[in-house]
Amino acid sequence: MSGRAAILEIRGLTRRFGGLTAVDRFDVDVNEGEIVSLVGPNGAGKTTVFNLISGVLPPTAGSVRLLGRELLRLPAHRITHQGVARTFQNIRVFPQLTVRENILLGTHHWTRSGMLGSVTFWPGTLRAERAAQAEVNTAIDLFRERLEARLEDPAFSLSYANRRRTEIARALAARPKLLLLDEPAAGMNPYERIEMARLIRSMRDRGLTIFLIEHHMPLVMEISDRVVVMDHGVKIAEGLPKEVHSNPRVVEAYLGRRAASA
Amino acid sequence: MSAQPAPTEVAESTASLRQLWRSGPAGWNRALTRARVLVPFFLAALAVPLVLQYVEDNSSWIGAQYWTLILATCAMYACLAVALNLVVGYAGLLNLGFIAFFGIGSYAYALVASDQIHQHYPLWAAVLVVGIVTLAFALLVGVPALRLRGDYLAIVTLAFGLIMRDVILELDRPPVLAGHQFGPDGLNITGGTNGIHLVQPFNLPTSLPLLGPVPHYRMYYWIFVGFLALCIYFMLRWRSTRTGRAWVAIRDDELAARAMGVNTFKYRLLAFATSAVMAGIVGMINAAQIFNAFPSPNFDVQTTVMVFIMVILGGLGSIPGAILGAIAFTVPPFLLQQFVFYKYLVISIVLIAVMIFRPEGLLGTVSIRPRKTMGGALELLTAETAIEASELPAVTDTEVADLEAAAGAIVDDPEWKL
Repeated sequence: MSGRAAILEIRGLTRRFGGLTAVDRFDVDVNEGEIVSLVGPNGAGKTTVFNLISGVLPPTAGSVRLLGRELLRLPAHRITHQGVARTFQNIRVFPQLTVRENILLGTHHWTRSGMLGSVTFWPGTLRAERAAQAEVNTAIDLFRERLEARLEDPAFSLSYANRRRTEIARALAARPKLLLLDEPAAGMNPYERIEMARLIRSMRDRGLTIFLIEHHMPLVMEISDRVVVMDHGVKIAEGLPKEVHSNPRVVEAYLGRRAASA
Repeated sequence: MSAQPAPTEVAESTASLRQLWRSGPAGWNRALTRARVLVPFFLAALAVPLVLQYVEDNSSWIGAQYWTLILATCAMYACLAVALNLVVGYAGLLNLGFIAFFGIGSYAYALVASDQIHQHYPLWAAVLVVGIVTLAFALLVGVPALRLRGDYLAIVTLAFGLIMRDVILELDRPPVLAGHQFGPDGLNITGGTNGIHLVQPFNLPTSLPLLGPVPHYRMYYWIFVGFLALCIYFMLRWRSTRTGRAWVAIRDDELAARAMGVNTFKYRLLAFATSAVMAGIVGMINAAQIFNAFPSPNFDVQTTVMVFIMVILGGLGSIPGAILGAIAFTVPPFLLQQFVFYKYLVISIVLIAVMIFRPEGLLGTVSIRPRKTMGGALELLTAETAIEASELPAVTDTEVADLEAAAGAIVDDPEWKL
């Protein structure tokens, strides 16, 4: 679109749950360094798209390519190796691990440290562990004042917003090429939402490509380079935030309902 | 006049103790697993039989051997509890066939160190055989069973334990399958209900420099304590590096662990097999200690339950808790012999009380009660509806269907947690 290479190409992606087609021949391109938002009414199939990209769900049909490599049918942990990291709509931090250990989990796939190396203090293992610890420091760079004091606390003791931040830091520690954020601002107060918008932008400025699902339309309009709208599993519009906002099909499918109920 | 600094020191130490008390079980575990606590603890544990001997030599009390044997049993159960903690406490896999690996280890050693099949391997070769045999059995049951979760895994491993017991009991004669007999007529591998007798002990020096002659019972106490120290060292190192983090992550949230690039099947299998090999080596030491490999209690479900109780009482995932559990279940029955009739009654009452007042166990951080949320669907719905309800369209039936279908497919088991 802007001449940049597509990092993620989704073609004809379909997923059926019994009789329900949650995602129906969905196509989208995400270009390098872009923030693309996926919006749509509840039940439109947005999270299912994310689950299909990240390998959590197997697709019924279609293709998802990251930098030209096919991701579908790879197991979920292999997809992380390919450079996709995600957060979850219902936050999934590891409650019994500390914030630091949660973030260290992000480094799991690119560090090499095994059981034997661990007990024998093998130099390679120690190097890998040090690299992982250093990555924690980099990953919390954007949340330093929020998370630094809580690094040794178990994640279950965190506030809702801090769990979100931990989850995002964990995804950043995985050094992804593409970051999938599933409703990063859900449940946050207006101040925290503005902070989240800044955060998403600064992640993009550091060279990450971001594909996000978000319900809060002002936030979407504010930060997105492009917006993709889904309804009933089908893409109904795609374009710049302004274009999408005035698209009559979008107004009918999404904003119209809200206007009608107001 | 030299006692002036004492009051402030006392105040400081009580303050730090109070802080430690407030830090909760996670803090207690951290404090108790420091090297400056564990090293003195193990040095003291190694010295105990010498102290007992000294007391016996210098008083009318006799019982140094008796109590060393009891403490050796205690150390053995502590090893088993630590090994079970790896698979249940760290990785969250409910392995009810755990004790079978202890039995397999003891029989594997007995076979290569007795006249049963006329093999007498040197110690290093015997350790290797025991390790390989238990690993082979762990992979045999683990590779198919670890694709299951929670309760299903528990049932399969329980069945494995019971089958192994039957196999051991039946293998005193050649196996017969569909009318065909495998092996010659007099074939007797396991000795059936009798077990394998006259197992040779480890070929170790009978006297040590400085300590003089070392009796058999004291040597095996030291071996058990030494192996316990080794297991604990391994466990603590693993827990503080990548492997252990991956295990706990899988236990906490398997889906998120997978999404972070953890090959969950591989790590579950690693935990299962490592714990099995640990238990196998404990079984081997036990066989050498008592010169026998018996089908019971080596394969009894009761023994598994006993070790489970130790782990749960001490706290899942807690190593000091596992030692505490092992001590609590092996030493008091001997102290209170006149009440031995009530042993199981007392154990049951203690266990019920712990489950009511501290469902996490004495030093644990993970509750064995199931979580209140139902995993996927419910959580998703409440998170959305509670938050910006006014800004969202009402929840429609299709949405509920989508969410439930999606959640059901993602989390194909409810977030079952031990």
